[in-house]
Amino acid sequence: MTTTHATPAYTIASDASWLASALRSAVVEIRSPAGGGAGIVWGGAGLVVTTHCVHKNGSLTIEANGKTHSAESIAFARDHDLALIHAPSVSGPIFELRDVGTLRPGELLFAYGHPLGVNHALAMGALHTVIRDKRTGDPRFIAANIRLAPGNSGGPLVDAEGKLVGVNSMIVGGLGVAIPAGVVHAFVTRATNLRAA
Amino acid sequence: MAKDKNTNTLVELSAQLSAAVEQIGGHVVAIHARRRIPSSGVIWRDGVIVSASHTVRRDGDVRVKLPSGDDAVAEVAGRDAATDLVVLRAPEVKAPPAPRADASAARVGSFVLAVGRPGRTVTASFGIVSADIEGWRSGSGARLDRLLRLDLAVYDGFSGGPLVAASGGVIGINNSAFARGGAAALPASVVDSVVDELLTRGHIRRPFIGVGVHPVALGSALVKRNNLTNDVALVVVSIAEGEAADAAGILLGDLLIAVDGRALARPSDLLDALSTVPEGGSLRAMVLRGGVPHEVVIEPRDRDRDGAAA
Repeated sequence: MTTTHATPAYTIASDASWLASALRSAVVEIRSPAGGGAGIVWGGAGLVVTTHCVHKNGSLTIEANGKTHSAESIAFARDHDLALIHAPSVSGPIFELRDVGTLRPGELLFAYGHPLGVNHALAMGALHTVIRDKRTGDPRFIAANIRLAPGNSGGPLVDAEGKLVGVNSMIVGGLGVAIPAGVVHAFVTRATNLRAA
Repeated sequence: MAKDKNTNTLVELSAQLSAAVEQIGGHVVAIHARRRIPSSGVIWRDGVIVSASHTVRRDGDVRVKLPSGDDAVAEVAGRDAATDLVVLRAPEVKAPPAPRADASAARVGSFVLAVGRPGRTVTASFGIVSADIEGWRSGSGARLDRLLRLDLAVYDGFSGGPLVAASGGVIGINNSAFARGGAAALPASVVDSVVDELLTRGHIRRPFIGVGVHPVALGSALVKRNNLTNDVALVVVSIAEGEAADAAGILLGDLLIAVDGRALARPSDLLDALSTVPEGGSLRAMVLRGGVPHEVVIEPRDRDRDGAAA
């Protein structure tokens, strides 16, 4: 792959396209009356994580690997702008999570999703800062200087290795804002435990 | 995501970028001299901090938060409206000056980071140098030797922070006030010359003569009769009382043809001519009054405040 054009710029470009192809099977498109967006396949049990892209108890479909799957929303965390979807026929690779405490301003981040209806698009930027709760110091949001658009919501923010940094949620002052992966993990664990009980 | 190659070039580049931010972050301070969000400043020399003038709303003593988290007091030593730079003296600051980047790190297309400290933590934004402009004229009419236009996100605390090379080191001082909110940076060489002058003088010398001018077309008969090289001149439309042009006897309606042998076609030509006058020097102006050429010697004065008229 890097035999004839092994310049750094070429290798960077080929590594970015490798990242995009690796993300393709882990990110789905969500269609719902709430607007839709992107979703992240979470584990092998037919779970998909997304943001404000779905309504409570609304009908929705998921486009994954060229097929349409029916699905239902099963849990919400309004304060974190997160939603959990159950789509039994959807599966994909499992993300390794990146600990927010190890993030450093300036490091490369990538957003993957369907901005303005353009399916499976990759955007590159850098970590701007981690926004923490003023009282507790807990990470609340991850701000990245990365160009997002409607349709990126619910999609993954990953690092240069493809580890999940967060779930893209909103655009504030031109910066992309994501929910930290640890917060998402806690939400999914809580929601699935409640469901099992 | 399962990964098969842990050391790809993206990971290396990412590590290099964050290391560059971390290194420079140790030389970036937060300045508390406006409402709400503090602004960023760079430790430029020993005990000297540079920032963007429009973000430092107070003169005198201002509070500065150091990279160590400690507070310090800095005093505004001077500011320059044209380059929008402010220089602060902070003898308490013991952190060394920020290291500089190689000159080759700021070419069009180079990867760069805009680093800031609008509060406690360091923030960064990543992009490329999109243009390297020589002889850029600012909104106030002053000429900047060089300005870098950037393709990266502007955020709260951007202005006054350092532009950092992907390989590390400071390229210049960021400012969003030059290009209607767009990202731009003043290169370190320009900052150095302003810092030198602000530290010694407290302001930047801007010679002015106190006239308002407007370009006018000259008739062909007038051009032929006076052997002029140019068919355009500057008509004097206002004169500031008691200033240099007034003192030299310039009158309303005079046509400024040339200064020091250089033809004048635009008001900016006059500004350029003025900017080259040394301290205590003078200008030889060729003036047409009633169709008759006169030579007038004007001794520009130094103005420390901002203004558009020459």
